[in-house]
Amino acid sequence: MAARALRKPAAKTPRALSRKWRSLGALGVLAVSVVLCAACQAPAAPSGPAARKKLTIAWVNKSLGNPVFDLGRRGALQKAKELTASGPIDVEVLSVGPVAADAVEQTRMMDDLIARRVDGIAVSCNDPTACIAPINRAVAAGIPVMTWDSDSPQSQRFTFLSIDNYKSGQTAADLLSKAIGGRGKVAVLTGVPGALNLDQRVRGFRDRLAAYPGMQVVATIASNEDINLGVQGVEETMQAHPDLRGWFFVGLWPLVADRGAMPLWEQSARRGDLKSVAFDTLPIELSLLRDGYLDALIGQKYWNWGYDSTQMVYDYIVAGKRFPVFIDTGVDIVTRNNVEAMVRAWETNDFSQPLPAP
Amino acid sequence: MDRAALSPPDRPLRPARWLSHGWRSLVRRQELVVFLLLLLFGIALTFSTSTFFTGSNLINIVLGCSWYVIAALGATMVIIVGGIDLSVGSVMALAGIVSALALQAGLPIALALLLGALLGALVGLVNGLLVGRTGLPPFMVTLGTMGITRGVVLSLTSGAPVVSLPPSFLYIGQGDLALGPIAIPLPVAWMALLAVLVSLLLHQTVLGRYIYTVGRNERALSVAGVSPRRLKIGVYTLSGLLAALAGMVMTARLGVAAPMAASGYELDIIAAAVIGGASLFGGEGTVTGVILGAALIQVVRNGVVLLGLTNQNQWQFVTIGAMILVVLLLDQWRRRRV
Repeated sequence: MAARALRKPAAKTPRALSRKWRSLGALGVLAVSVVLCAACQAPAAPSGPAARKKLTIAWVNKSLGNPVFDLGRRGALQKAKELTASGPIDVEVLSVGPVAADAVEQTRMMDDLIARRVDGIAVSCNDPTACIAPINRAVAAGIPVMTWDSDSPQSQRFTFLSIDNYKSGQTAADLLSKAIGGRGKVAVLTGVPGALNLDQRVRGFRDRLAAYPGMQVVATIASNEDINLGVQGVEETMQAHPDLRGWFFVGLWPLVADRGAMPLWEQSARRGDLKSVAFDTLPIELSLLRDGYLDALIGQKYWNWGYDSTQMVYDYIVAGKRFPVFIDTGVDIVTRNNVEAMVRAWETNDFSQPLPAP
Repeated sequence: MDRAALSPPDRPLRPARWLSHGWRSLVRRQELVVFLLLLLFGIALTFSTSTFFTGSNLINIVLGCSWYVIAALGATMVIIVGGIDLSVGSVMALAGIVSALALQAGLPIALALLLGALLGALVGLVNGLLVGRTGLPPFMVTLGTMGITRGVVLSLTSGAPVVSLPPSFLYIGQGDLALGPIAIPLPVAWMALLAVLVSLLLHQTVLGRYIYTVGRNERALSVAGVSPRRLKIGVYTLSGLLAALAGMVMTARLGVAAPMAASGYELDIIAAAVIGGASLFGGEGTVTGVILGAALIQVVRNGVVLLGLTNQNQWQFVTIGAMILVVLLLDQWRRRRV
């Protein structure tokens, strides 16, 4: 038995070795197939008698998990199709973004795009400071960059397309005050602290509350843009402040969870003791609004993040057009009075019509 | 050589014995240290807030850590065999998305759950095969599968969450188990059930004894004719399976399967195991410890909100980080003593 035990490892070595190579081989095959997969998804080279010029615009979002970026991406792809069909240049949009809302990973992706020599970049920055260096590197390499949704004001981007976040934070305060009659404790739920656009909304909201001395912010929760952590934060705050009258959801994170996930919040909302104002106008929030859980929504124009920014980068490069440093897309305010129009826009995928007054 | 001659891992000391060992063995029992810490935090929060020591808040705390514990049960077994599993967060998301997509495609609920569980076990099996057969470091292997799994999850839905799940599925996460006057949320019941099963496996079976032995003295085990490699493959597979169950319970609770769900949870899960006494050197860790570790993290998180310190979120990270360091130092100190 002892001899066997001694012999066993020695006898095994060659087999173990070949196994190791086999596994490595399998990994190699996997790597090659991943590359091939990526290659076959890449658009085919332009064909036809006269090869048309090609313009590649990188559309960089903050994270892959957020459905609003998907709508922006569809807008960008739509614009690329329209520009290609109507103009002399083939426009290709490369939609990329870090898996999680991670500033470092986004910086690395920007550098990859510079190395790839794309023609223009439109980016929503995870962190205003972390974005400065890669944006300036791109501009130095002759690639114009604009920002959308989340800015990097100290960088050399040629313009910033967004809502006025500070002003819309103030609008949220006005809407919430109207809903709860200007009195009571309110709480704020945000995403990742440090994101400039979210911080500006919170600041606008807090500053505007000075006009309503009856309202106090008793908690500001960070959800880290995670549904589960957002849900827990809301429920714990409801627990800590049973007399809470209002919520300002700076993003929709906990609202993505289905009914039943936040029993305390839902009960108070159903009783009418609690009113909530939220950012974004996604179908899930529209249905919460229809059912009386939410009172007002402040929506960014997600579609335009892609649709307009692609046009702007195109105009900047092809037509030499120049833009002011800030382009305000305006916001959509959705209440019970105009929610049906927004529902229709989602159903028909046509966001070009202005909403009726809230 | 007889298998019975293999020195069984010193099982946690029996109460009568550790009492006689004095304070040093008290410190040696990490669960006890964590339990006292939990008690201390609990008492402090009870007196400093009016909302901590209420039935609904306590149930919320246990509910909030239930899926962490379920996943941590597997991650702890991996730590006991001297490995680490970073893929648990991604596997939670994978199982959530796959079961949700299967339900949307009209599959019966049992089949959807089975599919999610099997896929989780499959990722675990791949981890186990790579660790057991190639001798690659578990940290790197599971870092790789963590990324691949997350990528697969994202590609399944192109980033969008899956919603409108059937009520029968939501019941798994949102239903209650009535125990007399108390309504226990079902996720807590699942957690308790799985904790008992894993505890039985670890402490009442020969297999469980081997699992501890792999982490302590791998050679002794192979000399006895038990394949450490196969044990490891089994343990990683179980970890994948448990992470998948955790992911599906969480998805059923939230009513939404999001592709970025549970990202970063692997660190909380491993922290729960380590704070609860699982040693990254292998060979140590208990089910009670994991539950206490997860509860401690959850109480810290809960306390930050109840105390109104939400504008100082950093303290949550500082506290949990400091607890991990203290526990690791204790672990090292104990090892030098033994």
